[in-house]
Amino acid sequence: MSEAATSSAARLPVPLSPVPALACRALAVGYGAHTVLEGVSLNLAAGSWTAIVGPNGSGKSTLLRALAGLSPRLAGTVSLQGRDLASWSRRERARRLAWLAQSSGATDLTASEVVGLGRFAHSGWLAHRKSEDDMAMRRAMLATGSLPWAARRLSTLSGGERQRVYLARVLAVEAPVLLLDEPTTHLDPPHQEDIARLLRSQAQLCGVCVLSAIHELSLALTADRLIVLGFNGLIGHGTIREALDGDWLSTAFRTRVNIVEHAGVYLWRPALEMPPRD
Amino acid sequence: MSAPPALVGLGLPDVEPRVSSRLLLWLAACLAITMLLTGASLVVGTSSIETSLGWLLTPDAQSSVILWQIRLPRTVGAWFAGALLGLAGAIAQGVFRNRLADPYLLGTASGAALGVTISLLAADASIAGLEWAGKIGITGAACIGACAAIALTIMLSRGALQTASLLLAGIVVAFLLSAVTSLLLLTKPEIWRTMQGFLLGSTGYLSWSSALLLGIVFSICIVPAALLARGLDALSLGEDTAQSLGLSLPMLRLALLGILSLATATAVGQVGIVGFVGLVAPHLVRETVSVNHRQLLIGAPLCGGALLQAADLVSRWIIRPAELPVGAVTACVGGAYLVFLLWRRSRDE
Repeated sequence: MSEAATSSAARLPVPLSPVPALACRALAVGYGAHTVLEGVSLNLAAGSWTAIVGPNGSGKSTLLRALAGLSPRLAGTVSLQGRDLASWSRRERARRLAWLAQSSGATDLTASEVVGLGRFAHSGWLAHRKSEDDMAMRRAMLATGSLPWAARRLSTLSGGERQRVYLARVLAVEAPVLLLDEPTTHLDPPHQEDIARLLRSQAQLCGVCVLSAIHELSLALTADRLIVLGFNGLIGHGTIREALDGDWLSTAFRTRVNIVEHAGVYLWRPALEMPPRD
Repeated sequence: MSAPPALVGLGLPDVEPRVSSRLLLWLAACLAITMLLTGASLVVGTSSIETSLGWLLTPDAQSSVILWQIRLPRTVGAWFAGALLGLAGAIAQGVFRNRLADPYLLGTASGAALGVTISLLAADASIAGLEWAGKIGITGAACIGACAAIALTIMLSRGALQTASLLLAGIVVAFLLSAVTSLLLLTKPEIWRTMQGFLLGSTGYLSWSSALLLGIVFSICIVPAALLARGLDALSLGEDTAQSLGLSLPMLRLALLGILSLATATAVGQVGIVGFVGLVAPHLVRETVSVNHRQLLIGAPLCGGALLQAADLVSRWIIRPAELPVGAVTACVGGAYLVFLLWRRSRDE
């Protein structure tokens, strides 16, 4: 495939492509001798938002990092748009797959400089930005509501504001595959909702394959699909309905997880009584 | 691609990086200070001749030599040496993602000291050794020693794959080479005095040829460093994030360490082990203007150059007609500055 053809495919992914945007086969990941996950096979389609849920230490971040090609795989393969992850050149891969770390430190850079780094794979070392890079940055900052701080230093922003700048950095790549590790950390509930809406629109309107680890169960249940990880590996990958019918969450957390349906949304209900009222 | 109409002409804060007026002011101030220091170092010296403006304007033959062949190359050389150390310090702090990193972190200083010790011992031991040592000189020996130390560090850390192992290897190499130097000095205590001048750092031996060498190396280093600055920006978001952006971390690290090594080894070769300039110069830039790495990599050399010029000036003025080692001055001033930073941080918390 020529370079022109692949790059136009990167910008306009076809939602109903028969090739999964991101897939892995018999994936095993871990650190040294310690295996965190093994035998994981997944197909992630373009145009859908998948949430990864599971207890702490079940390997949500490790799985995301392995899919992003950041931590060494012990076994198995990962393929991006039908091609082995390792066969993409570094730049080409970075244009197609954007990854958001769980927490990034504060830096002396301004918000727009950070978001501009998201265009690195497009504009390169000299940072010679074309108007198309500028537009991508603006769109990303508008979508995350971080445009008002464009000229502010990251070290002067609050944790939540910073997180939205980092999110804008990931969106500015305009990659067909987004891997996000806890994108809603440090955000207050209304802003978590904004992010969830943003991820859904990225999937549905832009045809992006979005995969995010999410801690908030109620928020995760607004995704299109769910990957549930337990202490012993993958419990299931399917639609929300399948996950609830199979009670995957209770299996994963090894305790009764109550999900109630209310006004068209699924909510996690803590098994706690209200405090006594007087 | 035409822009969606809703996004055009909103007058939103621009996403273009702009050079702030504060940064321009800062640059102007830095250059003015450098000019002032250069002028001052022409009229201040250890020789007994007049240090007045009138003398400067109508020099006789002897003072003209002092002016053009001793004082000017010395201050120019000091500027470039300080600039190289400032640049190396800024790179080290970026690569190690640590504000306390300095150019000597990779064992450069100990390597240079060992190189000088070996060359002095060789000169002492035999005629052939003397010839050999005379050919490469103290500066050459220091430079070779520094380069060897960095090569050893990078080898020990298996090609700088990880910052932590690189840091550890640098510490190991520094201790190892210092131990060897001390052992060698034990066998020949007489060369200790000669060594001391080098270990404390001195701008006294700078000639036009060394100033030229420092200037050439500085121009060789600053261009690739500024080009790689965006990589340091990415690195400041975390190593994984930098990698996910499409950067090759080992390549970036090796390239930056190459520049750092060249800069440090050259500076150490010409002025000895001058401490604190590389550590303090990037700090001073960050304290006065907030910058990205490209601005930092240009600002830190300007700051470092002015710092070493000022230290040089103080070293030959404060106990006239004798001279202090310039390294002692930078250590005092740099140490005091770091204590001030520490005090301010504890006050702010």
